Amino acid sequence: MTDKPEDSICEEQVFENVFYQYSTLLRNYAYYNCGDTAQADDLVQKAFIKLWENCAKVPLKNVKAFIYKVARNYFLKDVAKKKVRLEYKKQHKPGAVVESPQFVLEEKEFEKQLNDAIANLSEKQREVFLLHKIEKKKYQEIAQMLDISVKAVEKRMHMALVHLRKEIKYFDKKR
Amino acid sequence: MEKNYDETFLARWIAGELTPTELEQFEKSPEYSEYAKINEGADRLIAPSYDRQAAWKTLREQTIEKPTTPTRKLFPVWGYGIAASVVLILGYFLFFSQTQYRTGTGETLTVELPDGSRAYLNAESSLSYSSNSWDEKRTIKLQGEAQFEVNKGVPFKVETAEGDIQVLGTVFLVSARTEFLDVKCFEGRVQVDLPEKTYTLNKSEGVQASGKTIFSYGTDLSEAPWLRQESAFESTPILQVVMEIERQFDITIGPKALLPKSSFTGRFNHTDVSLALHTVFDALEIKYTFDGNNNVTIKK
Repeated sequence: MTDKPEDSICEEQVFENVFYQYSTLLRNYAYYNCGDTAQADDLVQKAFIKLWENCAKVPLKNVKAFIYKVARNYFLKDVAKKKVRLEYKKQHKPGAVVESPQFVLEEKEFEKQLNDAIANLSEKQREVFLLHKIEKKKYQEIAQMLDISVKAVEKRMHMALVHLRKEIKYFDKKR
Repeated sequence: MEKNYDETFLARWIAGELTPTELEQFEKSPEYSEYAKINEGADRLIAPSYDRQAAWKTLREQTIEKPTTPTRKLFPVWGYGIAASVVLILGYFLFFSQTQYRTGTGETLTVELPDGSRAYLNAESSLSYSSNSWDEKRTIKLQGEAQFEVNKGVPFKVETAEGDIQVLGTVFLVSARTEFLDVKCFEGRVQVDLPEKTYTLNKSEGVQASGKTIFSYGTDLSEAPWLRQESAFESTPILQVVMEIERQFDITIGPKALLPKSSFTGRFNHTDVSLALHTVFDALEIKYTFDGNNNVTIKK
């Protein structure tokens, strides 16, 4: 409540800035949780409408905590979950080594299996894994988003990797 | 080697936090190349694209461009009366001068009163007043819980089913739930008229009436805890605490008959339902199960 009036989220410009700052991460976090882009988009709308309605009471520094709280409560309710599907960046290899068709095929197979394995992780493990790997969030930041301890984040990350390795059949052939 | 990992080992590895010795050892292990491949694969992953511009446009229409201001989020009751007014023109003043605000589960609301005094409504509460007579007597009917910030002026009175509260200019918190009244004074002085006795509260004092049990106490709070997304209790009957959890999280807790007759002093945060249940029930050694959805079952 000690914010300067010009920092109030009720100010249109502040609200817009806040939206641009946090919406993509919130949306991706939601997607990693439910695997449904329409639901994830909807959650972002809901969270920010709620923020607007409470703009007089939420100081700027609490905005992050507020929208993630709304998101977490949303996932506690009946949200239909789908399989999370992710894309791969195109690989640009400098020096353009020509890869054998065999290699390319195996690589495709691996990518597919990794995608499936991620989809099969528990929500808790998946959100931590993807927030760290895709969103490049530090464990400390993830802990704040999810309102859990850093240690808990690290445990989930560790278990995510253990599960991924177990799940990926690609490795069996190589062993 | 794999058995030697502690429970955060791979997390520290992927974040580049292993010591050089740990890393060297790990790199020699047979599973290292597989974890490295997973890590490289994951580095190339991208999230589905998001049209932030379009999302902002939609959001703008539902927030900034919406005609209602945030402090008037819920329409006063007269807002619904437009169609009826054709018929009820004669009864206009009698019928529409009462302004009412109501909050649902998990909601809070800021209400600006005609003289600029403010009321913050907690979840599942309602407040009404007559704007016609506001200048002569500032009287509010309250069901539920609200914090008031009262500007100086004519006497300000809050009427509840359990008792009335009168002030001149001050900040105070009233919680009037079924057979329960709690008033805390944060600034100035407040007079609480209970059927049996009148209490005068100074700054940092509170009084609680629950059935026949009435006691006053000192409080270190300086504002309603739920303005910071918390609920706080001072020797409060466990039933009241459980009902507050239900109001904040939209869950059902039962059977209430199994609750002990004890009281609770402490607080819980509104951000995590599991944590709140844990905080309250473990402190009181009440066994329960939470289905992760909306139902909490209390066990014998």
